[in-house]
Amino acid sequence: MTQEILFYVFSFLTLLSGILVVANPVSRNPVTSAMFLVLTILFMAGLFVLLHAFFLAAVQILVYAGAVIVLFLFVIMLLDLKEEETRRVRKIGAGIGILAVASVFGLMARTIGTIPPTASSGASRPTLEGLTAPLGNALFKQYLLPFEILSILLLVAMVGVILLSKKDLR
Amino acid sequence: MNVSLTILELAVVSLGIAILLVDLWLPEQHRRLLGYTAAAGVGLILVASFLISVPSAEYAFGKMYVMDPLALFFKRFFLLAGAIVLLLSVEFSDRIETGIGEYYTIILFALSGMMFAASANDLILVFVALELITVAFYVLTSFQRNNIKSLEAGVKYLILGALASAFMVYGIALIFGTANSTKFGDILAVAGSVSSNPLFLLGILFVLVGLGFKIAAFPFQMWAPDVYQGSPTPTTALLAVGSKAAGIVLLLRILFSAVPQIASQWTSLLIVISGVTILYGNLCALPQRSLKRLLGYSSIAHAGYLLLGVAAVSMAGSSAILYYLLGYLFTVLAAFTVICIVMREVDNDDISSFEGLHARSPLLAATLSLAMISLAGIPPLAGFFGKFLLLKAVIEQGANEPGYYCLVIVALVGVVISLYYYLGVVRTVYWTNPSPGQASILVSTPVRFMIYACIVGMLYLGLLPNAAVNLAIRAVQVFHL
Repeated sequence: MTQEILFYVFSFLTLLSGILVVANPVSRNPVTSAMFLVLTILFMAGLFVLLHAFFLAAVQILVYAGAVIVLFLFVIMLLDLKEEETRRVRKIGAGIGILAVASVFGLMARTIGTIPPTASSGASRPTLEGLTAPLGNALFKQYLLPFEILSILLLVAMVGVILLSKKDLR
Repeated sequence: MNVSLTILELAVVSLGIAILLVDLWLPEQHRRLLGYTAAAGVGLILVASFLISVPSAEYAFGKMYVMDPLALFFKRFFLLAGAIVLLLSVEFSDRIETGIGEYYTIILFALSGMMFAASANDLILVFVALELITVAFYVLTSFQRNNIKSLEAGVKYLILGALASAFMVYGIALIFGTANSTKFGDILAVAGSVSSNPLFLLGILFVLVGLGFKIAAFPFQMWAPDVYQGSPTPTTALLAVGSKAAGIVLLLRILFSAVPQIASQWTSLLIVISGVTILYGNLCALPQRSLKRLLGYSSIAHAGYLLLGVAAVSMAGSSAILYYLLGYLFTVLAAFTVICIVMREVDNDDISSFEGLHARSPLLAATLSLAMISLAGIPPLAGFFGKFLLLKAVIEQGANEPGYYCLVIVALVGVVISLYYYLGVVRTVYWTNPSPGQASILVSTPVRFMIYACIVGMLYLGLLPNAAVNLAIRAVQVFHL
């Protein structure tokens, strides 16, 4: 029961802050939009927790609400998008956006329609648990070698970025 | 879990980290020593690899990693190429303003990626190893960051490399979705039932597209000339030999170990790609005035020749590819060594910079000419015998499908076209006089030995091919053909 209430609360808040990202009646400042995007992502993480996808929820907050939003804010502040506040929404852009959303909805509706009714009855539901333990097991047992190679890859990327972007290499 | 199988890769990675750390404390004047150490280390690992023998395939990490004669052949191939390229980078080091220690390190890490690719038996490992190679090359191509051409090369390689990775990952996802596994063994087991599924075929096709970018096959070749021309010369050499060979070994493994049925169904596709690649590379090389750019187009043509062996879908074709790559290694590295040394005097790779090279340095002139003759495929050098083996393999398959005969004709036309521009370089080197004021070129002792080694390799493979051919035939026994 509590789960259902929480689901509706989180869904409502996700949708509300999602709308406020693109159509805020009070402010058209890009920074405000970015902040509402943080809220959208946080509430979505709440939905993931309700689905027992704890790792995904944590990653969602760490990576999206943390790193990606910081990147967004950097770009917004560096570019100093003042004219964005006064710019009007173009009709073509809005049309394409509505078309894209409608197609995604159509695709989702079709996919849900193809699920056989027995799937939701619980018997054949896959035992997918988003705990960190199975993930760790997969990473450190089944996929140990690619995981370790990725650490070399990250080292190469770090060394490369420093070499290519540092102002004075002396 | 048999971790000891990865000993060669571990050694290369440790060497890379050691070089990176030592570089921190090493005074500026000893930097040259660092490069020689790296090259010697890779040489030692190459020698040590002959202590390993693999009578049959051994697996590690849940069959994700395989150590078989094919993997060992390519690991030695990459180590040899790596040692030569590292020596070449020492020669190049005065043209890299900063971070030469990191340059050696990233070459070593790229090398380890290629060696992992040689042993890949799972699409996830394929992807990770390829990304390691590609990311290392993003840095290596744009390493001369004050040189606008080097940066242009880096940006072009980055954008097209990212596109190739996207295709690759999409393909792997589709294969995983339909075959329910990324391991080559499992895919082979279920291939019979899923090979009619269009999504599975699309997945295989996308993976081939990703690899096509790596080996610069038509229609995914557009990056090659610009990147070859703009990159630092040692990077170009490693790109031409290492990256291409890594793409080829993955192509062979995926096509002939995981989905041999599909490979034999898709022969017409392979024939067309091979033929068009040969013609495109050779025709576009004709008007080139920059030698590095010419070698870029020539490398596209050679990707086409290598695809002859893939299109043949036979043991003979695969072993011919291995032999051809070995000859290509010595030839291309010899050519790039000469370019690297000559470009030290004049910072320009226009063919006119090589005028009268015979008077300025007889050794370099002879090396460049031999390399061009071998690339053109004139006997008695390695390039001739390699092309002979590839064409022989294709003709053997001709009884099954007449398309193979057309492919042979196209390949021969390509060889004839290529004679014009390869011999044009030889003419410039020998039949022109040096412009006044150009001093003779000094060649340092390690590089001199390296050049001798390349010449010996070209001549040995061309005159006494038996040992190498047998080695190649033993290596390709792992395929299900």
